[in-house]
Amino acid sequence: MFETIFVDAANWLRNLLASINLSPFVVEIFMHVVKMVVILVFVILNVMWLVYMERKVSARFQCRVGPDRNGPYGLAQILNDVAKLISKEMIIPDHANKIMYLLAPILIFAPPMAILAVTPMGEGMAAVDLNLGLYYFIAIAAINTIVIWMAGWSSNNKYSLVGGMRAVAQMVSYEIPLLLALVGIIVLTGTLNLNGIVEAQRDVWLIFTQPLAFFIYFIAAMAEANRAPFDLVEGESEIISGPYTEYSGMGFAMFFLAEYANLLIMAIMTTTLFLGGWLAPFGWTFLPSWLWFIIKVYFVIWVAMWLRWTFPRLRVDHLMNLAWKFLVPLAIANIFVTGLAKYFIG
Amino acid sequence: MYGKGLLKGLKVSLGWFLRKDLTEDYPDVMPNLPDAFHGNPIFEYDKCIACNLCVTACPNRVIKLETETVGKKKVVTAYDFNMQYCMFCGFCQEACRTGAIRFGKDFELTKYDRKKIKIRFVTPEQVEKKKQEVLQAEKEAAEKAAKAAEKPEAKATEKPEAKAAKKAEARAAAPKKSVEES
Repeated sequence: MFETIFVDAANWLRNLLASINLSPFVVEIFMHVVKMVVILVFVILNVMWLVYMERKVSARFQCRVGPDRNGPYGLAQILNDVAKLISKEMIIPDHANKIMYLLAPILIFAPPMAILAVTPMGEGMAAVDLNLGLYYFIAIAAINTIVIWMAGWSSNNKYSLVGGMRAVAQMVSYEIPLLLALVGIIVLTGTLNLNGIVEAQRDVWLIFTQPLAFFIYFIAAMAEANRAPFDLVEGESEIISGPYTEYSGMGFAMFFLAEYANLLIMAIMTTTLFLGGWLAPFGWTFLPSWLWFIIKVYFVIWVAMWLRWTFPRLRVDHLMNLAWKFLVPLAIANIFVTGLAKYFIG
Repeated sequence: MYGKGLLKGLKVSLGWFLRKDLTEDYPDVMPNLPDAFHGNPIFEYDKCIACNLCVTACPNRVIKLETETVGKKKVVTAYDFNMQYCMFCGFCQEACRTGAIRFGKDFELTKYDRKKIKIRFVTPEQVEKKKQEVLQAEKEAAEKAAKAAEKPEAKATEKPEAKAAKKAEARAAAPKKSVEES
């Protein structure tokens, strides 16, 4: 009954619109607007929850309690944080490039939203069933770099500039092992459609057939999402807050929340590509597919937090060494081995 | 092997994740304090013998002791503990021979009124009651002594009593001076 609850809701709305004699084109546009709003709400709710979850999980790793004063289990802390950030003044530095400076926090949320349009969150629950889904994901994810660079450059602050340059260097470097790791998946599944990739994992998840690709992808994705131990872009102890140094109030909040949106995207893509997406493990279909998807995503997020609260930050040259001297050759070897296996066995 | 240390680190942090948290939920649950904790001062009027040792032991002159001689005995008429200067060193507690002043475990000592910071332990009723008791006791002692005097061994018991009275008079002079100083 719960399995198809969202699909049924969408169909009901579509039929309702069709029944009042709207043209199919208008119905289609209206449906897309509804899907956009749903994705927006999904991202905002998840990001707010992640801020709270990060604080609670980090507290657990340090034998603390975390926020527990506001509301039950400290849940109202999220609302307090948001209210505080909204009520603060947004200061624009004198010599900043005002247009770029104000545009960056607005654009920072665009890539995560755009990526969520193609991810299947349950059986038949992708907003757009795109043939080039994986390609689209990679292309959109790369845009993030430009937005962070915009923020770093337009702030006219040395820390922001260094942070922005670091962001570009790190994200462009890690894009390559990320892409090369995904080639193995494409070779095995023979499709770029994310729904197709999930379907191809019905018998065995790709983490078991492509463990090396998963390893490379996970490290590269952590670096792409600027998560610790790859949080050199922020690097509080070195460059204050990197590209976000000059931002205050809601401008800062947007970057802060976008970090978590990126973490969410990273977890969603890891789940879709390697952990069987919305497929139930061991045929345990007593939970609906979208719930399995959420459970897997949050497990990946928990692992990312576990890594964050365990490892110290990498040095810049070590970061580059890891990408170019270790991950890239490994990814190329993985493609080679996968290709041979596909040729001789599959 | 590369990455062995990373796995070890992950294992350690997971161990901490599964451990019970160490936080004391203080306002909800009172913390478990050690026995020697120095919290609120507690004064027991009936135990105090007005020896003045706590007053001299206090480095910050927190305690103010006032006495009055009733009959042959000294009665404490005021024992003021000025909390704003107290540093909870516990010297008064150490100096006290009868355990009249000691520190409890209550550490929530903030007050809404500045005047309430100075704790006045002795109430006028207590003093009045004590005075009555002392007079009563002396009256009884005198009656006993009178009865004893009728007997032949009276002289032997009278002597030490007279000595004690003289000593008490000498002591009464000393603390009054220290009160004026403080």
